[in-house]
Amino acid sequence: MVKYRYLFALLVSLFIAGNVSAQKDEISPERKQAIDSLALEKVRDLSKYIAIIGNKKTPFSEASRVMDRAEELFAPDSEMGVSSLNRKEVNYYKVRKYFERLMALNYDRVTISWYDIHYISDLERQPDGKYVGVVTIYQKFEGVSDDGMKYKDTTKKDITIYVERKKTQIQGRTIEFWDVMLGDIRVTETSA
Amino acid sequence: MLNFIRTSPKWVLLLTVVILMSAGGGCKSKKKAMEAEAAANKAKMEQEAALKKQKEEEELRRKAAAEAEENARREAEANARKTEPYSKLEQYFNAIGGAGSVASANSSINEALTLFTSADAPVLIVISESGGQKDYDRPTTIKDYLNYLKDQKKRADKIGNLQFDSSGKITEVELIKQK
Repeated sequence: MVKYRYLFALLVSLFIAGNVSAQKDEISPERKQAIDSLALEKVRDLSKYIAIIGNKKTPFSEASRVMDRAEELFAPDSEMGVSSLNRKEVNYYKVRKYFERLMALNYDRVTISWYDIHYISDLERQPDGKYVGVVTIYQKFEGVSDDGMKYKDTTKKDITIYVERKKTQIQGRTIEFWDVMLGDIRVTETSA
Repeated sequence: MLNFIRTSPKWVLLLTVVILMSAGGGCKSKKKAMEAEAAANKAKMEQEAALKKQKEEEELRRKAAAEAEENARREAEANARKTEPYSKLEQYFNAIGGAGSVASANSSINEALTLFTSADAPVLIVISESGGQKDYDRPTTIKDYLNYLKDQKKRADKIGNLQFDSSGKITEVELIKQK
């Protein structure tokens, strides 16, 4: 009986300790809100970068620089899904490759815009401390050639978002920051 | 003296009395005049002292006013020196974010970079602050941040704090995310 009492006391202690530890890692709703907004802002930033890269009027040097900046938004090895009304399958490319293909598209004018950007799965804290969520966007694509060839579609895409607390040294000081990284971008619907 | 009174005719005595009386009165007048002169002198001295004191006080007030004016001028200059980089940088932020062309934005970026010790000067962006704890976005550099404003054509974040080196160049920027 005494043995069971010790075991019970141990279990209760572990439960309390675990709870306290979990509470310590919790962040306030205000801070969480700021992180949610930051992640959405990164998605909007990507939208603008994609529009710049796709725009045929963008000088090569600017497009290259913007590709670098856009790539920095992603976690390593992330992939971008590309669909077409002319085929069933979705092709996936590493983001750098996707940007290069986008820049080289065989149209004279390319317009890409993202809209209705929203969370479909809120950022949730994972056991490893990272926050993971999913944002959906709608992409309107239009490519026009001087010879009159025109292609346009609307694609619904899901973007996985990772947010991680990291540390860095800035002028001798340790700065803790929230690192938002975009993961794979999966095509879920394509329509005319 | 009694002999003189007894032997002298009455008119002599009368004359003597008149002379003595007039002499006595003259003495009194002289004393009064002296007293009056002393009083006048004293009043004059007092007046002069008051005037001197007044002048000294006025001089002190004038000096204090001049000193306060000089201090205010110095303070205003110091404030202007302190706030000038803030307003200049804010102007560059607005010019870059609202530039009509890439060339115009690049020109403003190059000008803005002259305010900094280096194009790699760190930029920290506060996304929220509660209980003295600041949450930052991933740190960037001033060159990347200025290009970001150019690419995104968005309003810059609020300038929270600037750090300078001894020559007055900016070494670090802290921005506050606009909600």
